[in-house]
Amino acid sequence: MSDPNEQPRIGVFVCHCGHNIAGAVDVVAVADMARELPYVTFSTDEMFMCSDAGQTLIKEKIKEHNLNRVVVASCSPRMHEPTFRRVVEEADVNRYLFDQVNLREHVSWCHTREPEKATEKAKDLVRMSVARAVKLQELPIKTVKVLPTTMVVGGGIAGLRSSLDIAERGFDVVLIEKDSQLGGNVAKWTHLFPSDESGAQVIGPLIDAVRKHKRIKIHLNSKVSDFDGYIGNFGVTIKNLSSEKETKVDIGTVIVTTGFEAFKPDGYYSYTESPNIVTLAELQEMAPAQMLVRLSDGKPVKKIVFIGCVGSREPGKIGHEHCSRHCCSATAKAAADLKDNVDEVLVLYQDIRTYGKGHEEFHRLARQKHVIYSKYPSDAHPNVEVAADGKIRIRWFDVLAGSELEFEPDLVVLASAMIPPPDMDETAKMFSLTRSGDGFFNPEHIKLAPLTTHTAGVMIAGAAQAAKNASEAVIDASGAAAKAVGLMAQGEVEIESTVSHVLPELCSSCHTCLTACPYGAIVMDEEQDPPVAFVQEAKCKGCGTCAAACPSSAIVMYHSTDDQILTMVEAYLCATPESEGGSPT
Amino acid sequence: MTVEQTQTTKANEEWEPRIVAYCCNWCSYAGADLAGTSRIQYPTNARILRVNCTGRLSPEFILAALDMGADGVLVSGCHPGDCHYTSGNLKARARWAMMETAIEQAGVNPKRVRLQWASASEAQIFADGVKKIIEQVRELGPIRSEWK
Repeated sequence: MSDPNEQPRIGVFVCHCGHNIAGAVDVVAVADMARELPYVTFSTDEMFMCSDAGQTLIKEKIKEHNLNRVVVASCSPRMHEPTFRRVVEEADVNRYLFDQVNLREHVSWCHTREPEKATEKAKDLVRMSVARAVKLQELPIKTVKVLPTTMVVGGGIAGLRSSLDIAERGFDVVLIEKDSQLGGNVAKWTHLFPSDESGAQVIGPLIDAVRKHKRIKIHLNSKVSDFDGYIGNFGVTIKNLSSEKETKVDIGTVIVTTGFEAFKPDGYYSYTESPNIVTLAELQEMAPAQMLVRLSDGKPVKKIVFIGCVGSREPGKIGHEHCSRHCCSATAKAAADLKDNVDEVLVLYQDIRTYGKGHEEFHRLARQKHVIYSKYPSDAHPNVEVAADGKIRIRWFDVLAGSELEFEPDLVVLASAMIPPPDMDETAKMFSLTRSGDGFFNPEHIKLAPLTTHTAGVMIAGAAQAAKNASEAVIDASGAAAKAVGLMAQGEVEIESTVSHVLPELCSSCHTCLTACPYGAIVMDEEQDPPVAFVQEAKCKGCGTCAAACPSSAIVMYHSTDDQILTMVEAYLCATPESEGGSPT
Repeated sequence: MTVEQTQTTKANEEWEPRIVAYCCNWCSYAGADLAGTSRIQYPTNARILRVNCTGRLSPEFILAALDMGADGVLVSGCHPGDCHYTSGNLKARARWAMMETAIEQAGVNPKRVRLQWASASEAQIFADGVKKIIEQVRELGPIRSEWK
């Protein structure tokens, strides 16, 4: 621990990033400028700061010049801030005494043809960062304990897989399902792909295993009615929907596997006008024999039409722009199965995307069985009419034949979209999750962290995250379980120190911050007289909204203090000859 | 054109707007990163300051920047409903209406400030927003011309 009162001794390291930065920015001039700034003890430029050589250089110079703050001017901190924080920490400099300047994404790459102006901007940004570095404060590295229990919300295929994975690794699971039975959508489906089994056959053994496991406590007909706490230490109230009885449990991690709902396509293809027009999900829930008789009059079904992309892939229609991903393969499987017992099966499609392992084989099988595939234009969907006598007539333009076609099927199956369930918003609010354009939950990072969320300790898996098929949901489930187990096996987790703090002597007890905080992290400390606001640090995510809202300026947002921000603005706009490295005359 | 006008015009030609751009870490800062990664070219006038959330920005930060001589201030955050902290951007938006009135009353043209939403994937929207505030400010001239 360094003395907070000691004079700042800043080291500035300007990165060439090969030619990436140095190609547009005069990095030597930037380093020269920085050397003259107040409190800068050492400044240099280096080919690759993130390389072993660059990292070693930082550590050596910290030792050599007894540096207590480090500025690296290189790429985006979103890329290498964790790297450099680790480097300075290895040289006994607190990670919060490091600051990074983004000379690549924000300068050289977007001002490629303006080297002089880019260099000027780079100098400003480095001067701003050095000014901030002077004001940076050391913060403690904090950890909290993780309770060895996971709550899994949703007892579909993803929730069951997650629960079992966690229990088998020796941790406790609380599994919550709002329905009266486990299994979710998959349990109801008759044609599963790519395995040639029904949903019940696939999910049955999984349900049995979950039921029998000693470490899994199942709550059916139940919902989470209250959720409080922070990573490792959540307090949950589970409400039984039939008995209204509430149970409180303490858990360490959460996996949300609340799944999807099959879209009911009101207004599409005369869906509500005939009992012989059903969705793919409804077809999947029928017994195989039931599919072969017309629901209207009990006569045999001889001709079937499937229509793809119903309520999916509609640009400009909120919640229906996404591809629902499972339908092409599910349609191929169902069409191939049904073709064995009827005369004709047509599939009207925009595009066919049978992308998964074994899925294309079903598509091929369907075609081999003479299921007829006909492509309709994306801007002119088929027209489905129900006549007064109940006959269904479909007319569409076949893109590949280039002609108008007509067909009178006994059964129309609409491959409708996967959409979020109606209580998605409630779930999102409960766990402070955000939702993407398709309505499903946002992961922490779409590529690098698809199973974790912005609420630390809360994972998502399966169709709660995006439209996907059962095999993909299971992959997610095992991944999310591994994430939860990772946290619990560790037993404790580091939390950010960049939280807000109320200065009690300045607090006027106005409660403004309590309403501003999106996480309910601020409470009134009733021990004080008058009661003053108090931040529960483990619940604080560091957004700083409270600090901006406080009318008494009583809230300090660590690592993002008013002073640390405004000093940068000042360094940019009010650069004195001294701060620019001139003589202080 | 009088001599004085000619001189002012000449001074304005040499003058380059100085823009303070407050970006939230999760959407707009990342959007600016993507603009760079995508090699989208935009003028150099803005200096980006990273804050965790636009909810962090008290009106003071915008007023102080103008007071210290920024010709324009850009605030760029996540789209409403998409905030990393669920609702910080909505608080920023609520404060914005009040702040615009305040700067107008202080005699500063509200076109010198701009609030925009740009997600991590909206690099072009971010770059266009930077261009837009620079254009607006360029039309108005240096901030010192407004101090009376």
